[in-house]
Amino acid sequence: MSDPVPQHEPDSTPQSRLERLPLTPTRAWVLVAVLLVLPQVGALLQFLTTSLPVGSTATQVTDQVPVLLSRETIPNQGVHVPGEGWQGTFLGLSPAVVWLLRLVLVYAYGFLCLYWLWRGYLLYRARYRTASWTPLDDGVRRFRQHRWGQFGLLVVLSFLILALFAPAVSPTSLEENVIDPNSNELRYYDDTTGQIETTTVFAANLDSTSQGIPDRHIGPLSYDKYDRFHPFGTLPSGQDLFTQVALGSRISLFIGLVAILISSVISAALALISAYYGGWIDLGIVLLSDATQSLPQLLVVIMLSVVLSQTWIAGLYNGGALLALIFALTGWPSLWRAIRGPALQVSERTWVDAADSYGLPPLTTMRRHIFPYIVGYLLVYASMNLGGIIIGTAGLSFLGLGISPPTPEWGRLVDVGQPLLTTESWHIATIPGVLIVIVVTGFNALGDGVRDAIDAETELENEEETTTAASGAGG
Amino acid sequence: MNRLLYLLKRILLAIPVLLLGTTATFAIIRLGPLNPAAAIVGPVNSAQAQERLERIEEQLGLNDPIHVQYAEYITDLFTFDLGQSWVVYPGQDTVSLLAQFGPRTIWLGLWAVLIPVFIGIPLGIYAGLNVNTNRDYAASITGIVWRAMPNFWLAVILLALLSRSDTLFLGSGWESFIIETEIVGAPDLSSLGTPEGFVTATKQILPAAFVLGSASMGNELRLSRTAVLEIINEDFIDTAQAVGVSRRRLIGKHVLRNAMIPLIPVITSEAYILVGGSVLVEVVFGINGIGTLFFDAMTAGDLPLAGSLMFVFILLTVCINIMQDILYTLIDPRIGYEER
Repeated sequence: MSDPVPQHEPDSTPQSRLERLPLTPTRAWVLVAVLLVLPQVGALLQFLTTSLPVGSTATQVTDQVPVLLSRETIPNQGVHVPGEGWQGTFLGLSPAVVWLLRLVLVYAYGFLCLYWLWRGYLLYRARYRTASWTPLDDGVRRFRQHRWGQFGLLVVLSFLILALFAPAVSPTSLEENVIDPNSNELRYYDDTTGQIETTTVFAANLDSTSQGIPDRHIGPLSYDKYDRFHPFGTLPSGQDLFTQVALGSRISLFIGLVAILISSVISAALALISAYYGGWIDLGIVLLSDATQSLPQLLVVIMLSVVLSQTWIAGLYNGGALLALIFALTGWPSLWRAIRGPALQVSERTWVDAADSYGLPPLTTMRRHIFPYIVGYLLVYASMNLGGIIIGTAGLSFLGLGISPPTPEWGRLVDVGQPLLTTESWHIATIPGVLIVIVVTGFNALGDGVRDAIDAETELENEEETTTAASGAGG
Repeated sequence: MNRLLYLLKRILLAIPVLLLGTTATFAIIRLGPLNPAAAIVGPVNSAQAQERLERIEEQLGLNDPIHVQYAEYITDLFTFDLGQSWVVYPGQDTVSLLAQFGPRTIWLGLWAVLIPVFIGIPLGIYAGLNVNTNRDYAASITGIVWRAMPNFWLAVILLALLSRSDTLFLGSGWESFIIETEIVGAPDLSSLGTPEGFVTATKQILPAAFVLGSASMGNELRLSRTAVLEIINEDFIDTAQAVGVSRRRLIGKHVLRNAMIPLIPVITSEAYILVGGSVLVEVVFGINGIGTLFFDAMTAGDLPLAGSLMFVFILLTVCINIMQDILYTLIDPRIGYEER
């Protein structure tokens, strides 16, 4: 790194001054980081003040900070006055266009941030990493040629952005639309009186239900009588489906990630122990895993969620924390089974013997000389199991267990829409289901891609494990 | 280690697994925050309810010290004294309930294993033999999407399609197809012996079995495709081709037979998933089998019944595991000689 030293010359033009700015790739990267954070600084502050105990005054202050990508800055709710156009929406555009604009902006912002991360990795690789090559580079190179894996990555990232920015992409908020519709008001243009009237969201919802008959049906991409735009239509209760789908992705992601994180830690630790020590300890863990797997996962989940439904833990995140824990405790054996093989193979290598005879403590040997070789496998099976957990959560909510209202959940939406499937309002049960299929396919594809990136040659035994992993909880 | 010894070891190892699984169930039911007796009685708001609560606690032995409870629980289950139902079917013996509800679930499971075997594997083999053609891609993508589809959602969609089938398929609906049946509801298994009864019962179970087997179908498609691909690249196939074995014989005898080896344990392990997965499908299709019984028992607070059913499920999965190992050793003689 050699930064050009700024020199003072009397006849410098703006052009040359710009060139002399000490703008190395690293500084440019940091500058972009600042630019990326700026539009969302309000959202970050709000998140911090609401999650940390700092008092209500701080919350009020941070609420004043404008957030660029939000419903407040780009409002999509307005009044349509015949002859005058839209009032109250962003730039006077129609709510549909405003909503689409915000969706596109959010996704552009999200992918920009991800691209920035990718550039950061490349920068690190080129300038700061001491080694000129690591095995990871080969994996990355192989993944860059794996179209199917890239498709999976794209789907997974889109799902992540949807979950992260759920309030920003929704046409309305859960608070206004579902939790407290009675104290939120709405302005609309009344055709009969020819004036702008005010009503509660509750009353408006009652008048825009989807119940499968032509008079009572708000399908996807349509407006209701109150000038509200519904990208996915409405629920039988008149609530906006897109808002619930977007917020529902959060809980699926939360449960999936927490469960997979816990079971990854458990299974990695047990795999290292059984590979390093072998013998009776390995047999004990085999028995433990067999016993856990002998209980049908979905049934244990049902059982535990009923038994624990009255405890404090079931109250966390409307049951989300409990479900994540249950899925973690019942799901680790399949992960462990998948990585035990690779761990056993590595533990027989000479470098592990060398580390032992060198006198390294067992924990260090496991962490430094076995663990790095099984991380990739862990990633593959974690990705595939995640799809199974998402399906399992949705299945439980479909049965009326698991996540309780008002937190939206995709499985519950399917349940709500089921009686209307054969009518005009078929969209309610169909859209969340299709989304589950797409997201789970995405996670499976990502797992496939990562597996092929780790080792180019597919082994059948490997395939067998991934296949059973992917079908997950059987929901 | 020879094969018999290997099998014996597997069976011996199944005992602690069974014991551990049952212990976990005991821990959930007896040590969990939900008192089984209180769950049975419901809200205690009168002297009568209080008296009933105490009586049930006495009957279930909840007042004994925990190690006595545990010993009693385990010996009861291991001697097949499965107790009775308290809430869902009060007073009925668990064994008689199993006899009543079991056949429907077994009928469902049977077809749910058969359908994927007869659709998934041939499709996978077809895809494997025509690798990297459009037909292969079509079959593979179907398998991938199939696997990602949640059972309950597929069931809901299929149900809606079937009930509208008369308008979708030119007048002849599913209900009147071959034989008059209802779409939702349990199959009538009483006259399975007669041809007509067999057709009726099969037709009634087919949609549900199709849904329950959908994930397995995707799995089997994918696996048989890879298995065929692996075998086709082996040297002995080239040799056989070189000595002039006909293509039909080559595929039938040399490819398929070897490709089957890794598939058989997969099919048995599918049976595993079916045990747990049948709950959702049974609930949607209104088939009152064991899955529904377990679900009802759980939601109604009939913990003793649910615990006994869980023991049956554990026993079932353990048996499937042993059966799988027996099949493995029969098919692949190499097993048992090396530590697996």
